[in-house]
Amino acid sequence: MNITDLNKKEVAKIISLSDIDKLFTKRLMDLGIYESATVVMLNKLSSNRLYIIEVDDVEICLRKEDAEKIEVKK
Amino acid sequence: MIYLLAGNPNVGKSTFFNFMTQSHVHVGNYSGVTVEKRVHHVKHYEGANLVDLPGTYNVSPSSQDEGIVTYSLLNESYNGVVNIIDSTHLRRNLHLTVQLLELGVPSMLVFNLKDALKNNGYVIDIDKVKDRLKVNAISISARDRQNEDQKQIASEMQNLRITKALELDYDPIIKWGLQRIHDLLRYDVIQVKKKWLALQILEGNEGTFKFLDLVKEEKIREVVKEVEDRIIEAKVAFSLKGAIFNTRREFINNLVEECLIKVEEKEHSKYFNQKIDRIITHPKFGIPIFFIIMLAIYQVSFGTFLGVGNFLTTYFEIGWNDYLVYYLGQALEFLGLTGFMYGLLIDGIMGGIGGILVFLPQIIVLFFMLAVLEGTGYMARVAIVMDRFLSKFGFNGKSIVPIITGFGCTVPAIMATRTIADKKERILTILTIPFISCSARLPIYGIFTSLFFDEYRAIIILGLYLLGIMVTLLSAKFLNLTYFRGSGSKFLLEVPPYRIPQLRTITYQALEKAKRFVKKAGTFILVGSMILWLLSNIGMDGININPEESFLSNIAGFIAPIFNPLGFGDWQATSSLISGVLAKEVVVSSLNILYVGDIAAGFTTLSALTYIVFASLYVPCIATIATIKSETGSLKWTVFSVIYPFVIAYLVALSVNLIFGIFL
Ligand SMILES: Nc1nc2c(ncn2[C@@H]2O[C@H](COP(=O)(O)OP(=O)(O)O)[C@@H](O)[C@H]2O)c(=O)[nH]1
Ligand SMILES: [Mg+2]
Repeated sequence: MNITDLNKKEVAKIISLSDIDKLFTKRLMDLGIYESATVVMLNKLSSNRLYIIEVDDVEICLRKEDAEKIEVKK
Repeated sequence: MIYLLAGNPNVGKSTFFNFMTQSHVHVGNYSGVTVEKRVHHVKHYEGANLVDLPGTYNVSPSSQDEGIVTYSLLNESYNGVVNIIDSTHLRRNLHLTVQLLELGVPSMLVFNLKDALKNNGYVIDIDKVKDRLKVNAISISARDRQNEDQKQIASEMQNLRITKALELDYDPIIKWGLQRIHDLLRYDVIQVKKKWLALQILEGNEGTFKFLDLVKEEKIREVVKEVEDRIIEAKVAFSLKGAIFNTRREFINNLVEECLIKVEEKEHSKYFNQKIDRIITHPKFGIPIFFIIMLAIYQVSFGTFLGVGNFLTTYFEIGWNDYLVYYLGQALEFLGLTGFMYGLLIDGIMGGIGGILVFLPQIIVLFFMLAVLEGTGYMARVAIVMDRFLSKFGFNGKSIVPIITGFGCTVPAIMATRTIADKKERILTILTIPFISCSARLPIYGIFTSLFFDEYRAIIILGLYLLGIMVTLLSAKFLNLTYFRGSGSKFLLEVPPYRIPQLRTITYQALEKAKRFVKKAGTFILVGSMILWLLSNIGMDGININPEESFLSNIAGFIAPIFNPLGFGDWQATSSLISGVLAKEVVVSSLNILYVGDIAAGFTTLSALTYIVFASLYVPCIATIATIKSETGSLKWTVFSVIYPFVIAYLVALSVNLIFGIFL
C-alpha cells in the first residue's frame, strides 16, 4: 500500500520510495520522508488531490502523484 | 569576529537576528523568506558580526539559496556558528545540527520557540543537551526579546567551547568509504576538517565539488559510486544518502527521547489546525474564501465603504495641497519667485511628488493587513489552495512565495525565485512575475479609479490584480508549451502551524514599505518629475512656451500615434508611460504635471480603462530589468522581459478597448 491508502489519523511506516527522481528524493529526505520514518495521515484536501501528512512532528503537503510513490506498511 | 546563523527555514532565524542585532530584516511565517545573507553587529558583544543565512535543511544544497550556506561554511572565515532550532520540530531540525556538529567548529545551539513548545506541554532539558553534545546551548523565545537572554547569548558567544567533532557510528561500509576519500583529499588545502568533507561528499553534497577545486575529483567520485553500490547490495538502505540519514535519525531519536520532557498533557494544536484547514483549503470554498479576504483587504485600503486608507488619504491630500503647497506658493510669491521657477517648484516637484505621496496612507493600510495575513501562516494555505491551479500552468509549487512577494515589489520577488532548484522553472517564474501588480502600480490604479470609477474602486483594483495574475499564468502556460517544454512541476510544502502575528513585527513591516515608498518619492520621482516638467516647458523657442511646442511634446508626439488604437494617443499619456519605466509611480507624477493637475480632462472613461490596463502590464521598471539581468545572467532573457510585456500589454489593452467600447 502507499500513503494515499491511509485513512485519516492512521499511522504507518515508510518502507520504500520507488520511482522518484534523485532531486525530489533529496527534498523529501530533507523533510524527513524516508524509509523507516513514521507517517501520520492528517488530512486529505482538494478532493483527495493533496495529502497532509506528519513526519517527525512536521506537517507536509504532498500531491497525490508523489504520495502514491511512497510505499508504507501499517 | 564573525558568527554564521544557520538553521532550517521558518524557525525564527530572522527574528533571532533582529533580536540580537537590533535590526529589522523581514520575518514571515513560511519558508523561503530570506534568500540573501545579511550581516549586522551583535549588541552587547563589541566587534562581533552576525550573518543571517537563508534557511536550509541540510548542509548539501538543493537550490541556489541553500548553496550560499554550503559556500559560507566551506570558504568563508568565521569564528563560530549559531544554530537556531525550532524546538517544536526537533526531529527534523536536528539533522542540520548533527551535520554542523560533525564539522566540529565552535558552535552554539539556540533552541527557539520555547513558548510554543511550552504550549504543547513540553520543555527541553538544556543541561542534558549540553552534556550529550558537548556544546553551548540555550532555550529561548526569540520573539519575546528578553534582555537576559540576549546578554547570556552574547556572553556565551564570546566563550564558545571548541567542540570535538561529533562522531556517529555509521555503517562499516561508509566508514571504509570515508577513509578512502580522506586519503584522496590529502593533496587539497581546505579550511574545514577533511573527515567532515569526506562525509559530505559521500552524502552527495555537490557543493563540495562546485566550491572547492579538488585534485582527485574523478577518483573520489568513483569511490562514492562504489560505496553506494555496496550499500545497496548489502541492503543497508536504498541509497548511500539514505544510509547516512538513517544513522543520524537514530541518533536524533535517542537524543530527543532523553532531552525532550513532557510536563503537561495538552491536546496537540494540530487538531485545531486541521479544523481551520478543512474550511480554508476546501476544494470548493478555498479559492472564493481567498478572494473574499483579498477583496475585503482592498476595500479597507482603497474603497469608500469601510475605507480606512481612503479616509486617511483624503486628509493627507488636504494637508498637502491646501496647506503645504499653498503656503509654499505664498512664500515663493513673497520672495518674488514667479514664472519659470515657481512652475518648476510648485507644478513640477510638489505636483509630481504630491501625486504619489497621497497614496502613502493607503499603502500603509494595505501592507499592514497583508503582513497580518502573512504572519498567521495563511499564505502557505493559499499555496495549497492554489496548487492545482498553478500546476496546470506549469508553475513550480515553490513559485508561490515569489508570486506573493511580487505584490509588494517585483525586485525581491525575482530574487526569491532562488529557492527554485530547477533552472528552467526558475527562469519561467522570473519572466512571468513582472505581470503581478506591484505596489508601485497602485497609485496609477488609485488615481484613475477615483476619477472615473469612484463607485467601483475596490472591484476594479482587484480586477486589475486578477488580470495581472491571469496574464502571469497564461504566459507561464505559453512559455511552457513553447520554449520551456516539459519542465514538470513538483509540489512539496511544509505547512507551518498557525501563529498569532506580533504587532511589533507587522507594524514594522508596513512602515518599512512606507519608508521605501517615501524614499523613492524623494529620489526617482523627484528627479523624474523635475526632468519631465523641464522637458515639457522648454522647447526650440526657449522657456515659458506653450507645452504643445515643448521638446517633450515633439518627442513623445512622434511615438504617440501607436497608442491611437488604444484610445490614448496623445503626447502627455505617452510621455508618462515612457517615464514610468524609471519607476512605475512616476506615471502618476508625470500625468499630474503634464495635464497640469487635471488628468480627467485628458481621458474618456474608456481610454482611462485601457490606459490602466496597459500601464498594469507593460515594460517593467529599470530596477526590475536590472535584476532580471543579474539573476538570469542572460541578455536574451533580459531583452525578452522588456519586449514581451509590451506586446502583451498592447494586445490586452486593445481587446479591452474593443470589448468595453461596446458598453462605455
Ligand atoms: N511563538 C513564537 N514564534 C516565533 C518565535 N520566533 C519566531 N517566531 C515566528 O516564526 C516565524 C518565522 O520567523 P522568521 O524569523 O521569519 O524565520 P526564518 O525563516 O528562520 O528567518 C514568524 O512567524 C515568527 O513570528 C518565538 O520565539 N516564538
Ligand atoms: Mg529569514
